[in-house]
Amino acid sequence: MTWSPDLESTVLAADRAQYGTEERAAYRYAGLVWTLVRTDFKARYHGTLGGFVWALLKPVSMFIVLMGVFSFLFASNPTYKLNLIVGLFLWEFFSESTKSGLCSLHARGFLLSKARVPPWILVVTSISNAVITLGVFAIVIVVFLAAAGQPPTVGAMLAFAAYSGALTAMVIGFSLAASVLFLRYRDLNQVWEVVLQAGFFIAPIIYPLDILPERFHFYLYVWPPTPIIEFSRAALVRGVMPTTTGHLYLVADAAICLLVGILVFWRLSPRAAEYL
Amino acid sequence: MSASSIIELAGVSKAFRIPSVRRDTIREHLLGALEPRRFERLQVLDSVSLDVSRGEAVGVMGRNGSGKSTLLKIMCGVFPPDKGRVSARAAITPILELGIGWNPELDAVDNVFLVGSVMGLSLRQIRRGMDEILAFAELERFANLKLMHYSSGMSSRLGYAVAFQAVREVLVLDEIFAVGDAGFRARCEDRYRRLRAQGHTVIMVSHDPRIVSTFCDRAVLLDGGRIVMDGAASDVAGEYLSLLMRPSG
Repeated sequence: MTWSPDLESTVLAADRAQYGTEERAAYRYAGLVWTLVRTDFKARYHGTLGGFVWALLKPVSMFIVLMGVFSFLFASNPTYKLNLIVGLFLWEFFSESTKSGLCSLHARGFLLSKARVPPWILVVTSISNAVITLGVFAIVIVVFLAAAGQPPTVGAMLAFAAYSGALTAMVIGFSLAASVLFLRYRDLNQVWEVVLQAGFFIAPIIYPLDILPERFHFYLYVWPPTPIIEFSRAALVRGVMPTTTGHLYLVADAAICLLVGILVFWRLSPRAAEYL
Repeated sequence: MSASSIIELAGVSKAFRIPSVRRDTIREHLLGALEPRRFERLQVLDSVSLDVSRGEAVGVMGRNGSGKSTLLKIMCGVFPPDKGRVSARAAITPILELGIGWNPELDAVDNVFLVGSVMGLSLRQIRRGMDEILAFAELERFANLKLMHYSSGMSSRLGYAVAFQAVREVLVLDEIFAVGDAGFRARCEDRYRRLRAQGHTVIMVSHDPRIVSTFCDRAVLLDGGRIVMDGAASDVAGEYLSLLMRPSG
């Protein structure tokens, strides 16, 4: 398969013809994004608050079980529960959003093959529910910390918002690449399930990172959720800010994930409809 | 592109590579790594050139596998061509399938928002046209009923109603002109004529010579991925019937 200038110009011309000028296109895209997010939320949670709360029960019950089991193991660590809730909720977001993103184009394939919808919109909106849930988790975490007598400062909350933003950028990058690859390799979702199972234990969610020898830390930090979880815990639980080098590493990590995802998507998505 | 052209296809070609063995998973690729596959090239469209003028209704006819639907998808930007150029001077509303994107878990109102947005309508346009859409589909009483409880006829009527509301300059239709009872079909045909009278351009694929002769000014006949005839709709419909009588090859 080769990419030709003709191919690109045809796709762009179709976009322009469909949506008109850039301002009109942005306006229509915004409407489409809003509708996809709203209807997806409504369909998933049956349009009720109770449905949404029901969906939160899974991570909350997992937190209760893990806390019950592991707080005995790490009884000497006074911040174990707080670290666990931060790590677990961030992991839940990462896990759910990457799974949704990976299947997004396949799940809405009829829109690719029968309508003219920019495919990136289908990918990005597919993680919207996980983003909404992360927002609710953030409130739960803050309430939990406050109840534990360690309310986070405004600076810590802003840092946590930035780390969540970096994680979202990584998830979008992954989803863009994985969604087009999934159309070619239909067992990619099963492979990703296995990676996620292993990844849950690679990321320091249920154990403190410092129980492992320091020479292994670098390798754990290569797994994207690790720096996000560790940095969030540092800011919210311990009240300390990670180093500038650490932040630069995180920004580079998120930027690389996003750029690689965009590149793969840009290369493969114009022919995505042919694989449905 | 001539001054009156609204869509122009110049030398458009499209081929699909058909593998001797399908490999859709990583496992199949790994296990078959030492067994190379053969690929056959299926030329679906071969140097197709077509000029559609503003306000014209053009029918596209041809046997199964002649490339009609691929041609429409390339016009609408769903498929990119391998070679050639597609130029469009106006917004295209593709209706390649009715009710595409319906979510059975949502009611009619939410589905109208969903499908209307997908078809390029703004939220304001959808809100303004909601009553008209539901009235056209005769579904006002069932506006808040989930689509999973609709009959296929009700869903199709709603699909038509949204599609007609979403029409912008160019309407592209693929074999969807036979839905509902006689009364509903008559209203669809009436709506179609009004769209034509308003100056909309239409490109439609159909196997039905009566529909093409009645609703199109001009038609093209595709055979083996090439346009073999371009002329008055009734003439092309007649030639299509003769083509069906001949053995394919």
